Amino acid sequence: MPSATLLGQALISGVLAGGMYGLLAMGLSLSWGLLRLVNLSHFALAFLSAYIVYELGTKYGVAPWWSAAMVVPLMFAVGASQYWLFDRFRVNELASLLITFSFAVIVEAGIQIYWTADYRRFETHYATESIKAGPFFIPVLDLTMCIVASVLAWGTWMWLRKTYVGKGLRAAAEDADIAAAYGVDHRKLAYILSGIGAAYAGIAGTFIALIATLAPAQIWAWLGVVFAVVIIGRLGNPMGALLAGMLIGASESLAMAVLSPAWAPVVSFSVLIVILLWDPEWL
Amino acid sequence: MTDLLVVTGLRAGYGRAVVLSDISFRLGAGEAMAVLGRNGVGKTTLVDSIVGVTRRFDGSLVLEGRELAPLAPEQRAALGLGWVPQERNIFRSLTVEENLTAVARPGPWTLDRLYGFFPRLKERRANSGGALSGGEQQMLAIARALATNPKLLLLDEPTEGLAPIIVEELLSALARLVRSEGLAALIVEQHAHKILPITRSTLILERGRIVHQGPSDELLAEPARLEKFLGVSAR
Amino acid sequence: MNERANAWRRRGVLAGLAAGAASLAAPSILRAAPSGTPVRVGGTLSLTGFLAQTAAIHKIAAEIMVNEINGRNGFLGRPVEYVLLDDQSKPEVARSLYEKLITVDKVDLIQGPYATAPILAAMGVAQRYGKVMIQSSMGIPKLQTYDRAFPATPFGPEPDKTYPNVILDAMASLPHPPKSILVLTSKFPSAQFMAKGMREQAEKRGLKVALYLEYESGNRDFGAIAARVKEADADFLWVGSLGLESNQLLEALHKLDYKPRNHFHLYPAPGPLALSPDGDKALCSTFLEPAEPFLSRPGVKRIAAEFKERATKANLPYAVIDAQAAGMVSEWQILEAAVNGANSLDDKVIADWLKKHRVETIYGSLRFDGPYNHGDAAQLIKQAQNKEWKVVWPKAFAAPGVTLMGT
Repeated sequence: MPSATLLGQALISGVLAGGMYGLLAMGLSLSWGLLRLVNLSHFALAFLSAYIVYELGTKYGVAPWWSAAMVVPLMFAVGASQYWLFDRFRVNELASLLITFSFAVIVEAGIQIYWTADYRRFETHYATESIKAGPFFIPVLDLTMCIVASVLAWGTWMWLRKTYVGKGLRAAAEDADIAAAYGVDHRKLAYILSGIGAAYAGIAGTFIALIATLAPAQIWAWLGVVFAVVIIGRLGNPMGALLAGMLIGASESLAMAVLSPAWAPVVSFSVLIVILLWDPEWL
Repeated sequence: MTDLLVVTGLRAGYGRAVVLSDISFRLGAGEAMAVLGRNGVGKTTLVDSIVGVTRRFDGSLVLEGRELAPLAPEQRAALGLGWVPQERNIFRSLTVEENLTAVARPGPWTLDRLYGFFPRLKERRANSGGALSGGEQQMLAIARALATNPKLLLLDEPTEGLAPIIVEELLSALARLVRSEGLAALIVEQHAHKILPITRSTLILERGRIVHQGPSDELLAEPARLEKFLGVSAR
Repeated sequence: MNERANAWRRRGVLAGLAAGAASLAAPSILRAAPSGTPVRVGGTLSLTGFLAQTAAIHKIAAEIMVNEINGRNGFLGRPVEYVLLDDQSKPEVARSLYEKLITVDKVDLIQGPYATAPILAAMGVAQRYGKVMIQSSMGIPKLQTYDRAFPATPFGPEPDKTYPNVILDAMASLPHPPKSILVLTSKFPSAQFMAKGMREQAEKRGLKVALYLEYESGNRDFGAIAARVKEADADFLWVGSLGLESNQLLEALHKLDYKPRNHFHLYPAPGPLALSPDGDKALCSTFLEPAEPFLSRPGVKRIAAEFKERATKANLPYAVIDAQAAGMVSEWQILEAAVNGANSLDDKVIADWLKKHRVETIYGSLRFDGPYNHGDAAQLIKQAQNKEWKVVWPKAFAAPGVTLMGT
C-alpha cells in the first residue's frame, strides 16, 4: 500500500498537471460550445506559441512573461482572422474539424521546417523550483500555471454571465437566428470570442514552453485527453473545463501512484465514460 | 396620424415557395393591429417577413421612413422591432434575467419595469429559461421583446397552447400594453373574439392575400362577416 | 480519423518528392568517379511523425555516406542513388512504401528504415522479394528472423542478457557498489525488452529490485512516477526511456528535491540529457562517441566533421555524430563492402558474401555469422561529465584520465 506522502504528492502533482489540461481545454471549449466550431488548430497554436516563447527565450534571452505579452495578442489576431475565414466560407461544425485539422498540419509542418523535428527544451532555473509544505513539494511553475488558469477560468465565466457580450454569445450559441432577431450581432461577438480562445492557446503555449518538451508531433499528444476534459467540463464552460482538467490530472496521477504508471492513458477516457453514464446532477 | 410601418406589394416565402402575395397595409404609430385567418394562410410568414427571416421576392417594408428590405434581422431589430415568435424560442440555457439583459437596449422598459409588469418573472429571475412553464415562457418571450424597447411589437399567436386562466392573464397584460402604454403592435391570432377587443384594426388573410382590412370594432359588431372569413374558428 | 490519415499520406507524397529530388541532385555533382546508370537504393525513414527527430540524424548520415561512396568507386563502378521516402513513423506506411520501392520504382537494393516496428514491417516485404535488408536500430535481435536481414549495430544476439551485465559490471566496479535497483521503463517494445532483461540479470547477481514500473510511451506527467521513485529510493535507477522522457523524469525528481545516486538511461535524446543540470553523471549505453579511440578508425574523423557541418546547417540542436548517426553510416559501409566484395547486385550473392566475411565499419570489425545474423556484442557505457558524454566502460575504451563516477 502506498504511503500517505506518496498519495499526497501524487495528488498535488496530478491536480497541477491537470491545470494544463484545463488551460488547453478552455479555449477549445469556448469555441466549440459558443461558436459551434471544433478548433483542432488550438493545439497547433499553443505549440506555435510555445516555440516562439522558446525561440525568444533561448536566442534573445527574452523573459517568458515578456514573450507572453507578445504572443498572446498575436494569437488573438490569429484567432480573429480564423473566424473571418470560418464566417466567409460558412463553415459548419464538421467542416470546422477538417479545416482546423488542415491548419494544424500546416502549422506542424512549418514548425518542423523552422525548428526541425528534434526535441526542444527551454531550460529555465524556475522549471525545477519547488515550495516545501510539510512532507510535500509544490512545483512553483506548475502552481503559477494553475493560478493563471484559475483566474482566466473564473474571469471568463463571469464575463460570459455578466456582460452583454458574454450573454449575447450564449444566446447566439443556443439559437443564432433568434438572437439575431433580437439585435445580437453574433458575428461581431464571435470575432472577439475566437480571438480570446486563441489568446488562451498563447497563454497555454507559454507554460508548455516552460514545463513540457517541444517536438512538432507533440501537437497531437494532448488531443485525446483535452477532448475528454472539454466534454466532461461541458461545452462552453471555462470553469467546468478547468475543474475537469484537474479531476483528470488527479485521477491519472493517483492511478500512476497506486496502480501502475501505464494505466494513466486509460484513466481519462474511463472517467469520461463513467461521467457520461452516471450523468451527475452537479455537472 | 403618422405611419409607423408601411408595407407595399410584399411578395415573400421560403426557399422557392411564395407564401404571401401583394400584401399592402399601413400601421399607424401606437396602433394595435390584429392579423386573423385560418391555419396556413400566411400569418406567421407575414410576421417573419417583417422580422427578416423569410425570403422576400418583391415589395417594400418601410419602418419610420426607412426601408427594411435590404437589412439583416439584427439591423432591423436595432431599428425597433420586438418579435415574440410563435415557438417563443426563449434562450433555455440562460436564466430569466439573462434572457432579458442579453438583448436589452436603453429605453423606458427597464428590468425593474418589466418585473413590475410581469411579477411572476421576478419570482423566477434566477431560474433557467428551460425550467419555466408554458405560460411563463410566453411572458418571458414578451418581456424579452419589450426589453429591446421596440417601436413595434410583433406577436405570433401568443395564447396558443396555454391554459385558459393563463390566457386571460396574458390578454389583460397585452391590453394594458397597447391601450395604456400606447405601444404599436401586430398580433397574429387564431381566436378573433379574444383579440378584436384589444386591437384598433384588423387584417384578415386568406391564401396569402389580404381579404379584409378595417377597424376591429366593426368586425366585432358583425359576427356573420367574421364567420364568413374565418369559419368556426371565429368563436 | 480517416481525414488525418489522408492528410498525412498527402504530406508523405510531398516529402517523398522533395527527398527524391534532393537525393537526385546530391549525387549528380559528385558523379566524377563512378559512371553509368545509377544503382538505386530505396528506403524509408520516419521524416515526419513521432520518430522524426531521429530520422533527421539518419538522413544526414545517409547523405554523407552516399557522397562518400560516390567519391570512391560507387557500387561496382556505378553511381549510387538513395531513393528516400517518408514512412511517417507508421509501420503500415513503411510496408506499402517498400512494396512500392521494389515493385513500382524497381530499386536495385534496399536499405532498412529506423526503429523496430517499421523495420519489422519492411522486413516482411524484403523477405517476400528476397531482398537483402540492413538495419541499424532493431533492439530485439530475436525478431530478426529473415536470413537476409543484417544488423549494422553490434547489439549481439541476446542484448537483454549481455547488455545488463555490462552495466552491472560497471556498477560493481564503483567504490560503493549499488545494493538495490529500480527499473522504470517505457512500454515501448524494445525498451520493455531490455528492462525485463535488466531486472532478471540484477536479481541473478543478488541486487534487490526495489521497484519495477512501466509507463505508457508518450507519458506526459512524471510527477507521480517521480514520487514513487523517490519513495523507493534505490541505489541505482535504471530508466528504459526514449527521447526526452529522461529529462522530464529527472526534472520531476528535482522538483521533489530528489537526486538519484546512480542513474542509467536507455535511449535518451543525448544532447538535452548531457546539457541538463539534472543530467550530471547520467549513464547511457553507446557503441561510439566522437572521441578517441573511435576517431582513429578509418574515415571516422572525416565523417564526423562532415556530420557536424551538415547537422549544424540543418539546425539540429545536437550536431555531434554518435551511435545513432553511426548506425546509418555502418549500414552503408556494410552494403558498400558487400556489393563490391561480392561483385554483384544479386541479393542472394550479397547475403552469402556477408555471412562469410567481416566488414570494417565505424563500429569496428563486424561479423554476421551468429544467431539472427548477429556477431559479437559491443556495448559501451558513457557518462555525462561536465555536460559532455565520455565513454567510461569498459575501461579499455575510456579516454585517458576519464573514469566512471559514482556517488
